[in-house]
Amino acid sequence: MSVKYIPVQWNPNKWVYDAVLIVMMVIYLWVFLMLAPDRLDHERVINPQINAMRAFGSCAFLMLTVILCLGPLARLDRRFLPLVYNRRHFGVLTLIVALSHLAFVLDWYYAFSPTAPLEGLLSANTSFTRTLGFPFEMLGLFALVVLFVMAVTSHDFWLKFLTPRIWKRLHFLIYPAYAAVVGHVALGALQDQTNMVFAAVTLVSACLVGGLHLAAVILDKPAPAASGDWVSVAAVESFEDGRAKIVELGDGERAAVFRMGRDLAAISNACAHQNGPLGEGRIIDGCVTCPWHGFQYRLFDGRSPEPFTEKVPTYGLRMHNGMVELNRVANPPGTPTDPISLPEDVA
Amino acid sequence: MSEKSTPFFIGFLPVPDGLRGFLMVACAGLVIAFTALAYMIGTTQADPGPAQFRFDLGAQTLTGTMTALPYPVLHVTNGTETVAAGRSILLSANGKNGVQSRIEDGAVVTASGPLLQRGTLDMMQVRGGRRGIKAEPDVTAIEVVSESLGRWQMAGEICDGKCLTGAMRPGRGIAHRACANLCISGGVPPVFVSAQPVEGEEFFLVGDSDGNPIGPDLTEFTALYIQVEGEVRKLGDMHMFLMDVDTIKVLP
Amino acid sequence: MTASFVLTLGEYWLWIGALVAVVFLTIGIDRIDEDARGAYIFRVLLVPGVLAIWPLVLMRWFTLETGRDAWRGRHTTERHIHAGCWWVLAIALPLIVLGGLALKQNWPDDFTPVRIGDAQ
Repeated sequence: MSVKYIPVQWNPNKWVYDAVLIVMMVIYLWVFLMLAPDRLDHERVINPQINAMRAFGSCAFLMLTVILCLGPLARLDRRFLPLVYNRRHFGVLTLIVALSHLAFVLDWYYAFSPTAPLEGLLSANTSFTRTLGFPFEMLGLFALVVLFVMAVTSHDFWLKFLTPRIWKRLHFLIYPAYAAVVGHVALGALQDQTNMVFAAVTLVSACLVGGLHLAAVILDKPAPAASGDWVSVAAVESFEDGRAKIVELGDGERAAVFRMGRDLAAISNACAHQNGPLGEGRIIDGCVTCPWHGFQYRLFDGRSPEPFTEKVPTYGLRMHNGMVELNRVANPPGTPTDPISLPEDVA
Repeated sequence: MSEKSTPFFIGFLPVPDGLRGFLMVACAGLVIAFTALAYMIGTTQADPGPAQFRFDLGAQTLTGTMTALPYPVLHVTNGTETVAAGRSILLSANGKNGVQSRIEDGAVVTASGPLLQRGTLDMMQVRGGRRGIKAEPDVTAIEVVSESLGRWQMAGEICDGKCLTGAMRPGRGIAHRACANLCISGGVPPVFVSAQPVEGEEFFLVGDSDGNPIGPDLTEFTALYIQVEGEVRKLGDMHMFLMDVDTIKVLP
Repeated sequence: MTASFVLTLGEYWLWIGALVAVVFLTIGIDRIDEDARGAYIFRVLLVPGVLAIWPLVLMRWFTLETGRDAWRGRHTTERHIHAGCWWVLAIALPLIVLGGLALKQNWPDDFTPVRIGDAQ
């Protein structure tokens, strides 16, 4: 959570996270660059530069695959949430690996030429009307630009400045970018392989990313939006202490009704930080805690505890015929509300 | 694990005990998977083919008569053990450059530089300046015979002659297509690799149907497996394939 | 030359971005985000972002400066778009790989060259 911005907010979990990432990446590159060349199933040496292009390119592709799998995995099994927690560092590292791939390509395939490397990259193959022989380089370049834009807008400042909605739309580009990367591999590297291992790895990666997202969509169907000014949430006795029930209000709006002790109150389900699902969080130290990055809000006014400044909208509640009902018109972020108390006969 | 019993992770607090084991397994799994994938992908890369720089043979110094079209070829009259008199050899300069600006058609020159070799195909990468190509005004040029071997239909691939002969390994194929086009546009002679030999030859210097350097209409098909018709000629000892771009079919 | 034109455009884009970055990160950011006041080192980190998406930066700056920012938009999500997109992805991604493999050519070593005539 922010008070004053600092370049990177570190904590022990992030150190461990980054260490694992770096170990994973370094081992991959080390095996590919140092171990594999002596263990090819043929005697002939592949240029170290081309080997490096392939090492960094395939590493970036696999890293991106893992990044994209983590989101739906965490929706399917919440134990994966900690792996999503510091995903932006994962993205930045992937960008660095992908840029290294580009650097090796520019410094080999596009070097030694009277045409400048970047100009060569844009002009040496322009058969946009072909499928076979299509300038697959452009697909990779598009993905790289998207990764770059995402990495350089990953600081929390951008979330707040652009609003989570615009930020997410921008970062949504990762999906076309991943499709472009798969195309880049399928129309490029795969065409020249005699062994099908890399083709199989690519196919499995594509199916994993597609399949997991689909599973998350199917299993995570939102409830139909309720109608009327007062929306029925749940029976009074069904609330569990420290947890919430989520109400669908339509147009992407959701509210989270929490029970804290004997009190019930409602805030927006969308965290001010990255629109994480507050209703899937818990009350810790008297504050609603977001399951994504641990942003906290006081339940009765939707404000982060001092000195933090984040705010979320609040909602009015009432009890009606044994049901808890929510006023669908949200109060502006940080508006105090009166909680309703559970009747004495509710445990 | 049910929703209720899932430990709740908060980034800035220590990982809850119930999650620690799971996360350690997940992280170890990722590291192991990446190690295995690197090994699997790294060791199954395709054979780049029997092509390489022959620095082991030392720089070759060859004297002979040049022909300029479609691309510079040296017809050797005074050669070495490796490239004997009577052979015709493709020339390129350093990098993705040809030697077009440094030679004249019919001139006698001494060219010097390392060889690149792929099977029966040789190319010399001539050194810079006069150390690489030196005019020999005192030596008489030979008449280079150009003879037609008829019109042929072949299947194969247009490559750039330098990467194909080992400047890059692998130096052909789709991933290498843009590089090949840059080489060809820089003046490096393109070579057609025929799937089966014609008149005992597998490699053909490529020209357009008029015997000139090829343009974008032909480089459009670089690195693709194509079927194509054209005239096969023998220029000195060099086989050439002068392609009719209209007959090109990309093979399935 | 299309390629050099594209590169020149890119260069201009970055130069304008640099200009926007200078103005926004020295003056603008303090006016629209209280958390940025007194914090300077992190601004260096924002420079590449401004270079990349400066039109969006100008748009948002204008929105915030003129008080047009609607709080409601910050707390509604667009899950329905995701659902549609993921259906497309789940089908498209494997198809792209399979399509690439279907296009893959085999070296035509069964093709026997044919002499089709004398030189014209």
